[in-house]
Amino acid sequence: MSEQIDRLIKKEYAAGFITDIVSDTLPPGLDEDVVAFISGKKNEPEWMLEWRLKALRSWREMVEPHWAHVTYPDIDFDAISYYSAPKSSSDGPKSLDDIDPELRSTYDKLGIPLHEQEMLSGVAVDAVFDSVSVATTFRHKLKEAGVIFCSISEAMHECPEIVRAHLGSVVPQKDNYYAALNSAVFSDGSFVYIPKGVKCPMELSTYFRINEAKTGQFERTLIVADEGSEVSYLEGCTAPMRDENQLHAAVVELVALDNAKIKYSTVQNWYPGDSEGKGGIYNFVTKRGVAHTNARISWTQVETGSAITMKYPSCVLKGDNSVGEFYSVALSNNYQQADTGTKMIHLGKNTRSTIISKGISAGHGSNSYRGLVRMNPGATGARNYTQCDSLLIGDQCGAHTFPYIESKNPSAVIEHEATTSKVSDEQLFLCQQRGLDAEKAVSMIVNGFCKEVFRELPMEFAVEAGKLLEVSLEGAVG
Amino acid sequence: MLSIRDLYANAGDTEILKGLNLEIGPGEVHAIMGTNGSGKSTLSHVLAGRTGYEVTGGEVRFLNQDLLSLATEDRAREGLFLAFQYPVEIPGVSNMEFLKAAVDALAAHRGEEPPDAVSFMKRAREVSAMVDLDPNFLKRGVNEGFSGGEKKRNELMQMLLLEPKLAIMDETDSGLDIDALKVVADGVNAFRREDRSVVLITHYQRLLNHIEPDFVHVLAGGRIVKSGDKSLALELEDKGYSWIDEEVA
Amino acid sequence: MPDFIASALERAPTANPDWLDDLQAAGRQTWAASAMPTRKTEAWKYTSLARLERGAYLQPPAPATPTPANLKQHFSIEGLDAATLVFVNGSFNPDLSSDALPDGIEMVRFAEANESQAEAIRAKLGQVVDGRQHLFAALNDAWLADGLFLRVRRNTRVDTPVHCVFLTTAQDQPFSLSARLLVVLEDSSEATIIEHFCSDDLPQNAFTNSVTELVLGANAKLQHYRLQREQEQAVHIGGVHASLGRDSTLNSFHLGMGSTLKRVDVVVNHHGEGAHCDLSGVYLPRHQQHVDYHTCIEHAVPRCTTTETFRGIIADEARAVFNGRIHIHPNAQKTVAELSNRNLLTSTRAQVDTKPELEIYADDVQCAHGATVARLDEQAMNYLQSRGIGTRQAEVMLSFGFINELVERLPDEAMVEFLRPQLASLFGRQSLVTGRPE
Repeated sequence: MSEQIDRLIKKEYAAGFITDIVSDTLPPGLDEDVVAFISGKKNEPEWMLEWRLKALRSWREMVEPHWAHVTYPDIDFDAISYYSAPKSSSDGPKSLDDIDPELRSTYDKLGIPLHEQEMLSGVAVDAVFDSVSVATTFRHKLKEAGVIFCSISEAMHECPEIVRAHLGSVVPQKDNYYAALNSAVFSDGSFVYIPKGVKCPMELSTYFRINEAKTGQFERTLIVADEGSEVSYLEGCTAPMRDENQLHAAVVELVALDNAKIKYSTVQNWYPGDSEGKGGIYNFVTKRGVAHTNARISWTQVETGSAITMKYPSCVLKGDNSVGEFYSVALSNNYQQADTGTKMIHLGKNTRSTIISKGISAGHGSNSYRGLVRMNPGATGARNYTQCDSLLIGDQCGAHTFPYIESKNPSAVIEHEATTSKVSDEQLFLCQQRGLDAEKAVSMIVNGFCKEVFRELPMEFAVEAGKLLEVSLEGAVG
Repeated sequence: MLSIRDLYANAGDTEILKGLNLEIGPGEVHAIMGTNGSGKSTLSHVLAGRTGYEVTGGEVRFLNQDLLSLATEDRAREGLFLAFQYPVEIPGVSNMEFLKAAVDALAAHRGEEPPDAVSFMKRAREVSAMVDLDPNFLKRGVNEGFSGGEKKRNELMQMLLLEPKLAIMDETDSGLDIDALKVVADGVNAFRREDRSVVLITHYQRLLNHIEPDFVHVLAGGRIVKSGDKSLALELEDKGYSWIDEEVA
Repeated sequence: MPDFIASALERAPTANPDWLDDLQAAGRQTWAASAMPTRKTEAWKYTSLARLERGAYLQPPAPATPTPANLKQHFSIEGLDAATLVFVNGSFNPDLSSDALPDGIEMVRFAEANESQAEAIRAKLGQVVDGRQHLFAALNDAWLADGLFLRVRRNTRVDTPVHCVFLTTAQDQPFSLSARLLVVLEDSSEATIIEHFCSDDLPQNAFTNSVTELVLGANAKLQHYRLQREQEQAVHIGGVHASLGRDSTLNSFHLGMGSTLKRVDVVVNHHGEGAHCDLSGVYLPRHQQHVDYHTCIEHAVPRCTTTETFRGIIADEARAVFNGRIHIHPNAQKTVAELSNRNLLTSTRAQVDTKPELEIYADDVQCAHGATVARLDEQAMNYLQSRGIGTRQAEVMLSFGFINELVERLPDEAMVEFLRPQLASLFGRQSLVTGRPE
């Protein structure tokens, strides 16, 4: 089989083109002036600049973490440009008609049309290109429902009190090395506010695109779901194929107030590097949500891209009866390395969490699940169920599981199970004997393996995710 | 239907088939018997195109094509079906999904429209009933958590659904109790038609009480060493295999 | 607080044979170059060594005094027909030990080894344990003065278990001692070895640092027990490091009771194809005890199997740590490895931290692990209660059953008989729910 497998894992990265557009890009390097420049570009209030500078100072005191099961050369943080924006929209998006045609065609090529009339099934999109948001669709329709969906730079002007109350409340500036860096230099990202009792009338989505060379992307997303509200949000990401590694260090904060529900889905397809392991995005992301009483936060991720991923979307289950969920498919092909998982911090009574993690390793890929389930003394009656499965395709890859389980409450129940399997010769042979070709056979087996996660994705994206996985695996089996 | 001439094949580094000849005409049922290690399973795997086996000599023609030059899945699409001795489990992939993919691949190969979901489901339920499988099995993962007998019936069900030209049943009768054996036999008998052939690979004569073969062959040392009608099977049951070895020697 | 690393080096070892000098020097060097673990040291994330550092344990035990009477009651296992070797506060005690060992097994104390024995010991000693990865093994080397070497000859089956007792008695001053055991099973030999750490009933101020190396030749089979039954105040840091040759089998059972601070590393290296390891254990910390089992199974070669089951019941304000690592190296195809860790917390102030790790670099393997933390099964409780069994008694029955499942399957009946009442008495002590005495 290995021969067959070797042939199947190779396929070009489809989103790897470069958009030829004039950009405002800061020279590489990071100091207080750069932070002040970014803040100035955004016309930010004074408190925001102070907030950023505080983060920068903390970051300087911190050391780069090396505990993850990944290896990469040291990052030269002075060689990165911390701000890049397409010239035409560096003042922020105006109307959709003002978008540079080059940009518009970029999103068209990626299958993300920015014309509202062409939108599928009513999904509102915020498009972030390098450091800035270039377009947000359906804003007015959302506004009628009271939903605010805009870039975070705009939110700072439009509803500063909400931003100020919640920014950094879930992921403090000093939370970790990359969160501190992000807090200092984040340039844009999406902001969502769902008012009390409102069920957001459509799917919200942000589409992130890195284009410029030698830049980092540091977006910041903040979603606040007020009491009794509901929202489903999806992010997608791509980047051109470049030989160098580029850093993506985002922060996502979710606040689910009492009885609110937030569903956050990610289809991450950053450029993974070539089949030799050259180039690709370093995806070092901090994502965390706080769930208040009876609230529910659900993370679903399909991670197929990036050269290196370190990402642990987490839930702080603060309120009684709150629920946290994490559904993940992470694929590492070629020389990709992923160290991903979640943290479920149970603080409130009768809190519940579910973790379903599916890791797929192919080629020379390395895939690690790293998760923490913590039952604090107050988590009476809390429950966690964790299932993490690894699928190995080929004999050069690695699959690892590092679950941390901490319990300080005798009435809390934690169950953790992990299994490892491979796509076996016998399975392929059985499928082929029934007339299926090897690619179809593997994609069926892999999709079957991921089924529990895919069914958590919003309908429109579940099919997309399955296809993406198929493409990412091409060359894995043949 | 199938014509095997002077076939030599290795499993890994070991030569297993050593000049095997076999002619199978349309509508015929052939039983191939032999001791463990005689090459029965190797023959079925070589015909179906499993990797890990190397054909070192000879020729196999199936419906007037060079079978050995076809990819595994194309052999299946041309109508060669192997009922596995040990059907593998594929967790997460439902039987229904799996069978639909197989039926669709077959239709595409023939340049036909794939059957619509409703008529497919109906047919799948019908054949499941024929082999006494609860239709709920269709929703479960392929062979996942099936008992030995259920796996065998599942293989038979797939055969009835896919309607191949030539079905090779690799020890489908092993490990079955008498009731399950009858189910298998009934299925095979229902499948029999003048344009379809069946190869029964088996250890035991008792299957042949329920499926009457046209020919019985004895496989030993990688070759067919003796052929006859069903009385040969009775003789084997009676006397064992050693007299064959002596006769051949 | 004085620096523990430096202070430990100041404690000179007692006289040791010359042929151990190099190992001792290497141990001192590794130790000196090390830093004390902190919470940020992954292998010590959940176990603080403050109790050890505070305890001023670095003096050697007081010189041998007449052996207190009745020590035997602390270690004897009734009904077990074993050859017994007893060390009291680190010194071999011939009075308490058996006169003769069974045929086929050779026992040598390092201090008494002749030239050829010394050579045999040096060939294996320190080869299985990696002092760079196990800091306290380096300290054991640094303090190395004496130890016990057991060798089972090729093609020999020794039916009589060898019972190695390491007993501490309360002394006026806190003290530390090293225990070192090297067991070599030559090809196709079989034996049963019991390591038994225990103490008298008085509050202990001993810190025991133990290292055990088990070397199994091809096709050898070892039944191994390690019983930790020290008094509540004792501190124990120890390691069992095994190397398994082709087709060999190691069955290893661990009991963790007693000690204010206990850390045991169990490392099994599958070095020969077809080796099998069955590792099981129970830990039962109570009061303010802290117990930490770190197991690591290295599958370096193909076709080896591991089954590992650890269970713990954590009471009062005790804390248990379990870290079970299974590491499948790139060529270790056809490995079958399973790990299960289950925990019961019986008090609102008890804690457990468990981390079952799988690290896999080969694809044709079957690996699974599971971990649970839970209360007693409510359905089972209800079932017992519906048959008229009181809540309290039902709790005891189920807790005992939870642990007893692992004890019952031990092959030596006398061992089962020895352990069963001890476990039962532990659970019979107080209500598992209220924490109040009955």
